[in-house]
Amino acid sequence: MLDVLQNLALGFSVALSPPVLFYAFVGCVIGTLVGVLPGVGPLAGISLLLPATFGMDATRAIVMLAGIYYGAMYGGSTTSILMRIPGEAASVMTCIDGYAMARRGRAGAALAIAAVGSYVAGTVSVVGLMVMAPPLARVALRFGPPEQLALLLLGLLVLAYMSSGSMLKALAMAALGLLLGTIGIDQMTGYMRYVYGVVELGDGLGVVPVAVGLFGVAEILATAGAPTPPAVIKPRLRELLPSRDEWRQSTWPIARGTVLGFLVGILPGSAHIIASFVSYAVEKRVSRRPQDFGHGAVAGVAGPESANNSATSGAFVPMLALGVPSGPIPAVMLAALMVHGVAPGPLLVHNQPALFWGFIASMYVGNVMLLILNLPLVGLFVNILRVPYPYLYPAVLVFSILGVYAVNGSVVDVWIMLIMGVLGYVLRKLDFETAPIVLGVVLAPLIELSLRQSLAMSDGRYAIFVEHRIAAALLAAGLGLVLLNLYTFARRGLDWRARMALAEKGDSP
Amino acid sequence: MKRRFSFVLAAVLVLIGAPAAAQDAYPTRPITMVVPFPPGGVADLTARPVAAAMEKVLKNPVGVVNKQGAAGAVGMQSVAVAKPDGYTLLLALSSISIIPEADRLFNRPPAFTVEQFAPIALISADPTILVVPADKPWKTAKDFIEDAKKRPGQISYSSSGIYGTLHMAMELLSQAAGIKLRHVPHAGAGPALTAILGGHVDALASGPAVVLPHIKAGKLRALAGWGDKRVAALPEVPTFKELGYPDAEFYIWAGVFAPKGTPEPVLAKLRAALREAVNDPEFKTSMEKLETPVTFKQGEEFQRFFDADAKRLAEGVRRVGRVEAK
Repeated sequence: MLDVLQNLALGFSVALSPPVLFYAFVGCVIGTLVGVLPGVGPLAGISLLLPATFGMDATRAIVMLAGIYYGAMYGGSTTSILMRIPGEAASVMTCIDGYAMARRGRAGAALAIAAVGSYVAGTVSVVGLMVMAPPLARVALRFGPPEQLALLLLGLLVLAYMSSGSMLKALAMAALGLLLGTIGIDQMTGYMRYVYGVVELGDGLGVVPVAVGLFGVAEILATAGAPTPPAVIKPRLRELLPSRDEWRQSTWPIARGTVLGFLVGILPGSAHIIASFVSYAVEKRVSRRPQDFGHGAVAGVAGPESANNSATSGAFVPMLALGVPSGPIPAVMLAALMVHGVAPGPLLVHNQPALFWGFIASMYVGNVMLLILNLPLVGLFVNILRVPYPYLYPAVLVFSILGVYAVNGSVVDVWIMLIMGVLGYVLRKLDFETAPIVLGVVLAPLIELSLRQSLAMSDGRYAIFVEHRIAAALLAAGLGLVLLNLYTFARRGLDWRARMALAEKGDSP
Repeated sequence: MKRRFSFVLAAVLVLIGAPAAAQDAYPTRPITMVVPFPPGGVADLTARPVAAAMEKVLKNPVGVVNKQGAAGAVGMQSVAVAKPDGYTLLLALSSISIIPEADRLFNRPPAFTVEQFAPIALISADPTILVVPADKPWKTAKDFIEDAKKRPGQISYSSSGIYGTLHMAMELLSQAAGIKLRHVPHAGAGPALTAILGGHVDALASGPAVVLPHIKAGKLRALAGWGDKRVAALPEVPTFKELGYPDAEFYIWAGVFAPKGTPEPVLAKLRAALREAVNDPEFKTSMEKLETPVTFKQGEEFQRFFDADAKRLAEGVRRVGRVEAK
């Protein structure tokens, strides 16, 4: 423990030196910006700025890039809450209850809770990263394809808890999402699927254009199609801060989101996106008032926003402890280190203590900066709601198109977003929820790849899922959950979702 | 109205500024170097110092643009059909020869063909090296190959993706040594490395730079390399050539291309600029930091290297054929 403190002192001496502090601040500001802009997410932000770091020294470069990553998680909630447009893919779940809160005049509270939740999660998860990185990284390495598949299947069960209306409809949407996720090159054989000669579709549908389309563009279309424009919500100053009750309701979701996000973040894949979905489902499952979800439940903002933030720290575990990327963002950051002649690998902590501990310390500092930066911005951002819709929404649409285009410089992505927008609009009219589609698009390629990799490892024998003990345990847990649900379903007949759906039908003939 | 005017203006300017004069003055406006992969990859990290050094030599901006997608096909295709005026260049890796061949294999209209490019210069050519987890019994490449012969299809390896560079390297070895290995494709070189570090596969062909730290840390063991010379950073690791498998030759290389049809004077200028650029001290330092030695070839020499490499890879792809999924 004394070691850790000594090292941390070294880290803070690096992190608090003016140049490093400056680059951490720049990273946080840019991160907040790319988070706020719809479409542009942390990956695009980091990729665009990577070349600019080539002239800096390694510590400053990595501190700034990390600032962009976790800063984007702070900023991402803003447009989700205010306009139901995900600022980046990990904020999709925040759109649902955050926006519902905003419609009730609680936009300020939602934004403040998102910022505080992000701060708590960011700080606590860095402690986890600092103290437990090496052993956790070794555990993460043991997660091969079979273990990943088992975990992802467990994640699929999460879908069942995501809807606030009909479960059948939610599952139908998830199936649609999984199907959309099969577009692109078959990773195992090289066949092109549903590509029709469009080379860009080879990579499949991007999560960003799908999410911005289904949520943002669909929302804009729905508003434009409404007979009367929604009333402009005039935020009042005293309503900016969360009430005592709202704080109480978000305490546990923030705590759970933090732990869960960190653990999910360690594992390979688009961790911060999946973490936010899982957190939402968990909060809904444990909530005493699950029927509030979808209608402005505070926990539905606090949980996912904390989870996506602590997932960023989790993603740094394999990167710093072993020098292997857990996803595309850490991969770019590893490249940033290599450019400076710092070989990322298991010896990094040992060979570059100033860099490693400086990086850790800068994350503590960065999270404080982001909190200071974001809380006053709440007052500023809620004023966006004062702008009348005929001016606000065309501007937002332009930003969405620019943002989605900027990620890959691909017009195809813009078309995907627009088509998804129309699809999202139609589905909304038919009372389908679209969040399960996004989760399906995220999970389908991961599930398929890990299943087929497992079978390639075992030469086609399904027994591999039993022989690998972690995988077997996870699958058993999943099976248990299904059986438990079937049991309660059989006992109660209709669950609360169905009852609520019926009640809603009765209300509006 | 305004648009039509500017169109006419542009047309007039093109006519006045006769092509010959334009070539003499080349370059008069910024040059774009397309990298068909995301930032942070081998291609990107090579392209940026190259572009910076070229900029100094040509005294003209050279901008790197990442046009990623479909394993590089999107960006390569965009350069293949770009105007051959020397203002759009491509920094490509070995996969430029693989993609059209894989398209052919599946009877797809190829996104582009290698004939659509004029090779300008080779910048680097790193041989892949064979690594296994340090706790596996194979101490030498001979052990590995003998064991693979005894247990065909039992020893597994990860790769950056089907028909990807790391897959082709292993495939060329399998064919040269007459062994059969089990292929577990991954989504990129990063996940492929994670898979072997986690012990989920038994072997990996990888560029030296990314596995060096893990070899030094004692997690991985290097058995042999695919180059015609030993890797400088691993002098004790033999080549497959030395071991009697001359056909197991493979490099992850990076080269600069222009669209076919680029006028010869422009190509000559670019060749001269690149020759000077690779001797730039800053460029050399950047490549040293990446632990990627510069292997410069151009003109006839590069064309020969490129043709031989393309032939090997095309054969490799054809021999792998269409893979039936399990």
